[in-house]
Amino acid sequence: MIGVVVLVHLAIAFRYFQLQVLDFDIYNQRAESNRIRAMSIPAPRGLILDRHGEIIVDNYPTYILYGIGAEIINKKHNYNVISQTTGIDTTVLKQNYQNYYRNRFVPTRLAKDLTINQLSRLEEEKNELSGIIYKQFPERVYNQKIHASHVLGYLKEIDRQSIEKLGEDNQFEYGDLIGWSGIEKNYESSLRGKKGVTYYQVDAFGREAGKIFGQENILPYPGKNITTTLDVSLQQLLETELRGRRGVGIVSRPETGGILAYVSAPNYNPDLFTGLISNSDWQSVIADTNRPLLDRVANGLYPPASIFKMVVAIALLEKKLINPQDEIFCTGSYDFYDRTFGCWNPNGHGKINLEQAIVQSCDVYFYEVIQKIKLDELAEVAKQFGFGLETYIDLPSEMKGIMPTQQFMNRLYGRWGWSQGALLNMAIGQGEILVTPLQMARYINMLATKGKTRTLHIVQNKNHNIPEPDISNRSWNLIQKYMSKVVTTPQGTGRRSNPKIPGLKIWGKTGTAENPHGEPHAWYIAYGEKDGEMISVVILLENGGHGGEVATPLARNVFKHYFHSNRSKLAKN
Amino acid sequence: MLRDFRKKIYKSPISVLLPVSGLIILGLSTLFSITTTQGQTPPNALSKQIIFLIPALILMSIILLVPRRIIHKYIYLIYGCITIAVTLPFFGEKIAGTYRWINFGLPFGLQPSEIAKWVIVIALARYLSDQNLKIKNFNAIVVPFLIVLFPTMIVLSQPDLGTAFVMIIPVFTMLFWVGSRPIHLFLIIAPFLSVFTAFDILVFSIWAIIMAVVIFLARLKLWHALSLYFSNIFLGLIFPLMWGTLRSYQQNRLLSLFNPELDPLGAGYQIIQSKIALGSGGFMGKGWGQGTQTHLKFLPVQESDFIVSVIGEELGFLTLLIMLVLFSWLIIKIIRLALDTTDRFSSLVLVGISTIFLTHVFVNCAMTVGMIPVKGLPLPFISYGGSFLLSCFMMVGFVLNFGREKLD
Repeated sequence: MIGVVVLVHLAIAFRYFQLQVLDFDIYNQRAESNRIRAMSIPAPRGLILDRHGEIIVDNYPTYILYGIGAEIINKKHNYNVISQTTGIDTTVLKQNYQNYYRNRFVPTRLAKDLTINQLSRLEEEKNELSGIIYKQFPERVYNQKIHASHVLGYLKEIDRQSIEKLGEDNQFEYGDLIGWSGIEKNYESSLRGKKGVTYYQVDAFGREAGKIFGQENILPYPGKNITTTLDVSLQQLLETELRGRRGVGIVSRPETGGILAYVSAPNYNPDLFTGLISNSDWQSVIADTNRPLLDRVANGLYPPASIFKMVVAIALLEKKLINPQDEIFCTGSYDFYDRTFGCWNPNGHGKINLEQAIVQSCDVYFYEVIQKIKLDELAEVAKQFGFGLETYIDLPSEMKGIMPTQQFMNRLYGRWGWSQGALLNMAIGQGEILVTPLQMARYINMLATKGKTRTLHIVQNKNHNIPEPDISNRSWNLIQKYMSKVVTTPQGTGRRSNPKIPGLKIWGKTGTAENPHGEPHAWYIAYGEKDGEMISVVILLENGGHGGEVATPLARNVFKHYFHSNRSKLAKN
Repeated sequence: MLRDFRKKIYKSPISVLLPVSGLIILGLSTLFSITTTQGQTPPNALSKQIIFLIPALILMSIILLVPRRIIHKYIYLIYGCITIAVTLPFFGEKIAGTYRWINFGLPFGLQPSEIAKWVIVIALARYLSDQNLKIKNFNAIVVPFLIVLFPTMIVLSQPDLGTAFVMIIPVFTMLFWVGSRPIHLFLIIAPFLSVFTAFDILVFSIWAIIMAVVIFLARLKLWHALSLYFSNIFLGLIFPLMWGTLRSYQQNRLLSLFNPELDPLGAGYQIIQSKIALGSGGFMGKGWGQGTQTHLKFLPVQESDFIVSVIGEELGFLTLLIMLVLFSWLIIKIIRLALDTTDRFSSLVLVGISTIFLTHVFVNCAMTVGMIPVKGLPLPFISYGGSFLLSCFMMVGFVLNFGREKLD
């Protein structure tokens, strides 16, 4: 009997020995993972500023409520308690839990944008709530004066697909936000910063139970602030001008390529995308037939229309195929074999030379002279102005547009499928030529600086230089003279763009792009200079009508605002 | 009279109190660690335990002095009273889903089943020490089982599986002690084993073979042997059908024995957390008051059923080893006393009490390491629990009394 007693005690002692001495490492590790919880601390994203240091995109701390599946004892009870203390509907909580659920150990979002008041009431109920935690989360908040949605871009929640695309090297978790378009995307690595980690003990109910001795938290490293070349007041002005229309407005500095205003209308309120996009909001933006998500500045393709005429003129001048003094009689239409090409002015411009052909934007003049040049020769000059080429702006996506060549036309229509008639269309910037407004901004900047402009940019020029076109000074001077007359002469199509500020000189060119979608698109590109300070403007109004009538007043307002404003002196880059 | 008392105390096997006081100190220091580290203010487990220690020691002293023949004379009466007492909780309100406690309107309830443990032992001892008993007859062991089963069935329906188990075990050792035929005990145990082996066809087959061999060797009458054998087989076969009638928590407890990892948040959770607490303590432990698993409440019912895991986590294997040495010292000491006593009644009481202690120690310790299902049995002198502490010290009182050389 004593033997039995000894045996029983030995058996138990052996089992303790096995657990506590032999398997100590295993159980010690399990004890650690039992009690330590590591939570990442999101790093605040860098701010986005305008050229004067005004904040365009800021961070605003919001609180997000999470539930940890493995630690929740009674889900229904938790929902009820949360609902009673915060007033958030239980169905919302339930739905969020299902939407964001990944596995039972990862905190799953239940609600966002909690106020301090709601949090403190939740804190009182803490003992009732198993597995419920909250985390501060820096959310994007935007300057209320402007939208600038297409430049700034938006953030998107990381999902399985995008995390694979980012490769192994990323430090993202599901549910993190990543810049998905615009500057937010292009400068993601600087803006993002580095996440921190906080370690703390939890008790068996998942409630926080103090810090862990000897385990230092890793502080988050905030993202870098980014100073853009944008000017909030100019952006605001152009956004106001373009409200309710479809179109584009770009203001930049020709010498540097820095963009002051970048407007694609219609746009959307960037607040829509803060934190996480709800499906219904997203659908309503997607469904809008005016396509507010489309960045018309960099991704919209339009015929350049008459503003292409300077390219034609320069090509002919450089090849010495025309004399600027030579006159052509415009009757309002032009017969070419069996086809008739009309001038925009059906009454005709009468006897007209190159200068007047540009000032009054006569089409017949260009139908006549274009026949002296081969398509590839024209395309060569057009390429020097960047037609059909990327601008290399520091934004994630842009279209190249089309500058047709002989080869291109052959491929499109077959060797004998097109004729010189196509060239006549191109002479007035119609037909196969397609450009983005951004390319037009580069074009006007080149005209303004005689080809010495720099790559367009919002933040900085990324080591890309625009090769200086091989164009004689005489041609530059002639074209600039003509563009000046577009604004100054009474018949000039650009006369409405002149705010008549003493000392301010303006050069411009209008365009009226015929298109199959109704009214023509109205173009106006111009640059103005006062006291050695220069800005360029590109205006496009989709189906707006005549460039000289509807687009020019917008440019006038930009010049008026900019050159009246004292702040312009600060703008140096 | 006073001189008489002093003589009685002097003649008592007072050395029994050494392991007991060691265990009490260990228990109180562990409760102290739990309550202070977790900032529990009195009345907490520690303060209640200390308060209960006072009547426990008084009762122990009274029992030590009561003449044995008085105990012998009135034990059947006490047995009757305690049997009624264990039914009383059914008339009160349900506490923690069971009818275990009688509420006197005090800040604590009393658990009559704790007292019933030793009452049954002493009642059995009186019956088995009857000089006229012919223990070699099978009929002689039927009455002892009736004595035990009557209160045990009531306790089982409270429901309190652990206590019922502790009540039923001493009858085997006591019958063995008085020299009943081992085959008779085997016949009693056989049905239970038939039931428990019925879970697995292989185990059940092995059991069937062992049973056949034992019955053959016992040289019973053929008719007896066959009916016995096949009734056991029948019981094993029918049991899986009766399984469904068990309470679900009992089912869970039994099932989680076989694979606690299956249900980490249910019944198996306790065993897993207990093992983690114990295992992470290591040889020397994490230090007094440093047990993370304990104080972050990963460890369930840490003041009572799983207190040994707290000790294991904070004070390590070494302390547990010392604890086990103290327990075996105590239990072996009681058995020694039983062997030395010339009086059959006294030795039976001592054997029964030692069995109670041993069962508690084994079931509790084995439970915390996952060797047997979670039974909800406290550890003597260490676990928090007022009624149980009272009962334990009363049993120590009986040990001191019955272990004494005859004076009266």
